[in-house]
Amino acid sequence: MALTLRSGYLEMLRTCWRLQARHVKIPVLNQMGLLYPAIARHRSSQSKLPSSYVPPTSLSRPPWPEVSYISSDEEERQHKVVLENVNTLLAKEDYGRLFAVVHFASRQWKVTNEDLILIENHIDAECGDRIRLEKVLLVGGEEFTLIGRPLLGRNLVRVEATVIEKTESWPKVHMRFWKRHRYQKKRIIVQPQTVLRINTIEVAPRLT
Amino acid sequence: MVFLTLSCWIRNRGPDRYWKVQEVLSNARHFRGRKNRCYSLAVRAVRRAFVYATKARKIKRRNMRTLWISRIAAASREHGMKYPALMHNLVKSSVEVNRRVLSDLAITEPKSFLSLAKLARARQQEGFGAALGDGKEPPGVFSRIVTLQ
Repeated sequence: MALTLRSGYLEMLRTCWRLQARHVKIPVLNQMGLLYPAIARHRSSQSKLPSSYVPPTSLSRPPWPEVSYISSDEEERQHKVVLENVNTLLAKEDYGRLFAVVHFASRQWKVTNEDLILIENHIDAECGDRIRLEKVLLVGGEEFTLIGRPLLGRNLVRVEATVIEKTESWPKVHMRFWKRHRYQKKRIIVQPQTVLRINTIEVAPRLT
Repeated sequence: MVFLTLSCWIRNRGPDRYWKVQEVLSNARHFRGRKNRCYSLAVRAVRRAFVYATKARKIKRRNMRTLWISRIAAASREHGMKYPALMHNLVKSSVEVNRRVLSDLAITEPKSFLSLAKLARARQQEGFGAALGDGKEPPGVFSRIVTLQ
């Protein structure tokens, strides 16, 4: 392939000469560069780089991405700064609407003030009772988020709700049918439901 | 002479056929074609509808979960992480928020989702650091591999 390239260059040179009526004379050095491009590259590279230079390959660096290490002091300083900011925010009590992720009735709910929740089972509280939801996983506002691992402390967050309504669901039909086997069963399922209204979410201003 | 067998020939077929038929047709009123008017066609259509509804209640849970997962994956890719990495690192950091709430947070609370993604990213980097180690052999081990120093 190199030979054909060189012959192609020669052909180009010959056509150039013919077109320009042999007045153009390419100096000898450049001629060598055109005829043998490897020599041109070698010439240019020799002058700039040190002898210990190894060109980069796919094995020059490990295939996993670089991990940046932070020293433990730096980390502690960063943690302190974050804690101070969050503590000042909580002390001012200037946050607007708070939301909380609460674990209740084997489900997790993302909850704010004045929210209605429909729970598909029976609860042992009467209508109008005030309930405290204790298992809180996450509390957040516009400026900060408190993430529990997995739960937040009981003296940190307080979520209160009221039982509004205790009803039954609409009658759902559970039907089984197996074709060509004369088998069908029909059953009507009615499940008890409870409606809770979330009244308040409060955060206590003390964090270590 | 009175003809007394006439009364024996009258059949009493049951007083509430109308209501039994209405029970089925009322479930079929929103169907298309003759299935919403003619009883024999309606019975079959209503039976199929009830069976589909029972099966769909199970499938809905599966579909919702895949939807949440794809939403969480999209949101985590916006922050430069992939879904498996995010979930694994959240589990390792003992944060037990489930996929439904995570997808809700990604939609309505982007800053909180970003903080969770950063937490997962930090835990991931810690894991990489622990895996890579110091780059030295553990003490007391004689290894065939000789590093040029």
